[in-house]
Amino acid sequence: MQTLKDTYRRSRWVMPGVAVVLGAVFMVAQWIGGHPAAGAVSFAIMAVFAAVLVLLESRSGAVEIMRRPARDERARNIDLAATAFSGIVVITVILVAVMVQLARGEDPSPYAQLGAVSGVAYLVALVGMQRRG
Amino acid sequence: MRNRIRELRGEAGLSQGQLADAMGVSRQTINAIETERYTPSLPLAISLARHFSHSVEEVFDADA
Repeated sequence: MQTLKDTYRRSRWVMPGVAVVLGAVFMVAQWIGGHPAAGAVSFAIMAVFAAVLVLLESRSGAVEIMRRPARDERARNIDLAATAFSGIVVITVILVAVMVQLARGEDPSPYAQLGAVSGVAYLVALVGMQRRG
Repeated sequence: MRNRIRELRGEAGLSQGQLADAMGVSRQTINAIETERYTPSLPLAISLARHFSHSVEEVFDADA
């Protein structure tokens, strides 16, 4: 029978695995784009991040939450707040970039599209979540 | 929120890690609750109170 501890043990490898796979995808994309050396650097950065998650988990509460954001309710709350904060920062940067492009008399793409996507995503999430209760 | 978790855990002779395992949360979460840096969800508060055979109101003081 699968226990909660089994689930935790398995979930410990999800984030490091995602980091390594993402690094490999970056490497392949940059290799296809004709920049294999930059791709290797991208992969190395993601591999180091995965290693940090594995090696420093027991020494840092923040690393522990990064490695297992769904470990318990406090970790989930902190992860959710950190994700919301990073989203606000990104949206703010996008809005500022749109303003700068407009002030220069230039096309605000792709910042305007990114801003539109974030606005639509927020509205869809808001409607869905308030219906869910 | 003020609570009696540390006191009740001490009386039961449990470490933070043992209580965390019993509740299915991390030791850091138990520590954060004891030091009043984190207010647990209602299900976790009920589980903690039941673990020590108390009511939620006896363990957590919402007015403090």
